[in-house]
Amino acid sequence: MLEFDEDTLKKKSIDELTHLFMDSINEQNLKLIEGIEYLIEEDFDNFQKNLDYVIQTTAEVQIKKRFEKKIFKSKKAAFTKADRLKLFSKINDMKSIGEFLARKLLLYRVIFPDQEFKVRLEVILNSLKNISNNLSKAVKLIGTDLIKAHDICEDIKEERREMRKSEWALLTRLWNYDMDYLSRTFAYLKDLLEGIMMLADHIKTFSESIQFLSTKYLIFK
Amino acid sequence: MATEYGPIIIVVLIVLAVCLSFSIGANDETVAPLAAAGTLKFKFVLVLGGIGIAFGMIFLSEGVASLVGEKILGPGIKYTIFMLLSVLISSILWLVIGSFSGVPLSSTHSLIGSIFGVVIVYALYVGNVDLATAFNQEKLMSVVISWFISPLAGLVVTYVLYKIIAKFFLSKLKGLNQIEKNESRFTWALLASVFFAEIWVGANSAEALGILYAMYSTGEISLVTYYLFVVICGIFAFLGLYIAGRYVIRNLASQLTDARPSDGFIIQLSSALILMVCTVVYSVPISHSHVIVFCIIGMNIAQKKEVDYKGLGKMGIFWVLTFPIAALFAGFLYFGFISFGLY
Repeated sequence: MLEFDEDTLKKKSIDELTHLFMDSINEQNLKLIEGIEYLIEEDFDNFQKNLDYVIQTTAEVQIKKRFEKKIFKSKKAAFTKADRLKLFSKINDMKSIGEFLARKLLLYRVIFPDQEFKVRLEVILNSLKNISNNLSKAVKLIGTDLIKAHDICEDIKEERREMRKSEWALLTRLWNYDMDYLSRTFAYLKDLLEGIMMLADHIKTFSESIQFLSTKYLIFK
Repeated sequence: MATEYGPIIIVVLIVLAVCLSFSIGANDETVAPLAAAGTLKFKFVLVLGGIGIAFGMIFLSEGVASLVGEKILGPGIKYTIFMLLSVLISSILWLVIGSFSGVPLSSTHSLIGSIFGVVIVYALYVGNVDLATAFNQEKLMSVVISWFISPLAGLVVTYVLYKIIAKFFLSKLKGLNQIEKNESRFTWALLASVFFAEIWVGANSAEALGILYAMYSTGEISLVTYYLFVVICGIFAFLGLYIAGRYVIRNLASQLTDARPSDGFIIQLSSALILMVCTVVYSVPISHSHVIVFCIIGMNIAQKKEVDYKGLGKMGIFWVLTFPIAALFAGFLYFGFISFGLY
């Protein structure tokens, strides 16, 4: 489990702390996705292990505290402070959504209804992995290249659009199974899909706010 | 009868002039962008602003003060103490009305308007002076023209300055770190431009010193007394900014935390340049508030941001109304004094 030395954190700049925080949350996102992939494979031990990791990791709290201390005391660049804080809290929201989904998924051990459902879910998870990684790249580029960050966010939005189609197709498939709608399997799969959608939607909204920052701060000739 | 009250009125005029200097400092928001940048301690920002305005008032204001206090009048007219009292009361009254209506009114416009009103009444009822020669036409016209040109010049200078800096400098910045680093350099440029602007705000603040100069030019006070009170007015402008201005500045600065120091630098530099040219080259009193508002509009146009035309329209109406209403106020007031034999 990730842990950081306080002295190392102290030496880091606001931008570096944001990167570190983003890395930590992205790593947890990837663990969550990997955990769901284990669930698809019915490897419940690794599923449990990955999701426990997401729930129990608290390294980001250390980074968050250090970041807050640093930004409140900082006298530099007052005009970006609010945006830097918003950025950080948006990364933090991702952790909350991921942890909420992980806790929900651990409530029950589901068996997927058929192979087709699994294949389609894997496609969605793959897209989620891509947009999460891309978001991490975009956040890291905010400090150095807002144009590139803007372009990456455009890719995220495009992938999210495609993802949405697959998600609705899968939800339609779920509702059309010959299954008791009050059954635990139905409720679990519905929550799983909605949880993934929630995380993906947050990533999309986040990427839009990065694009807003690019528009706000870049000055073109 | 007028001579009986003479010494008392002179004291009243001096006290009002000093109070006016205090209120000039108290209403000055020039340092707000520097306070918003957060790099320097708030008290230091106030002291810096105070020193700037006091310096300008004490050392650089004579040209504008002499225009208001003497040169604007025609050859056959000299101020009387009751004319000056009417001018001061009328300008203060109109400014108070403006404050209640929430519109930034120009104290300069209201002062010149008031002078216009009392001089007309004096010419008609006391001095039997031809209205055509009551004013120094050339000076009066240069003042009125400067009121139209100075805000527009502020808009154009800000627009051009921003476009140049954006093209050769700001557009080359790609990331937030680079932007922050660059803006921290601009904070020092902002400090210099704010101080520079404060000096010219002080130098162009003709309201109080113009009245003092008028008293000196009519022989009511000596040159030494005039300079003594110029220094006192400078000190009171400093105190006004430091003691009372802090609330306005803090309030405005809290709304400006999102503003980039480079924007503040360009706006302050533009307004300072306009004030400097008007003070040094033409010795005309202009409205700093109007110039700064148009500088902000110039910046918004250059950045393709929305301009609040509705608010601007409201300000425009008060802008046009200030001169005639102040003239009417002062004229009626002076007419009232004349009715009691107080010329």
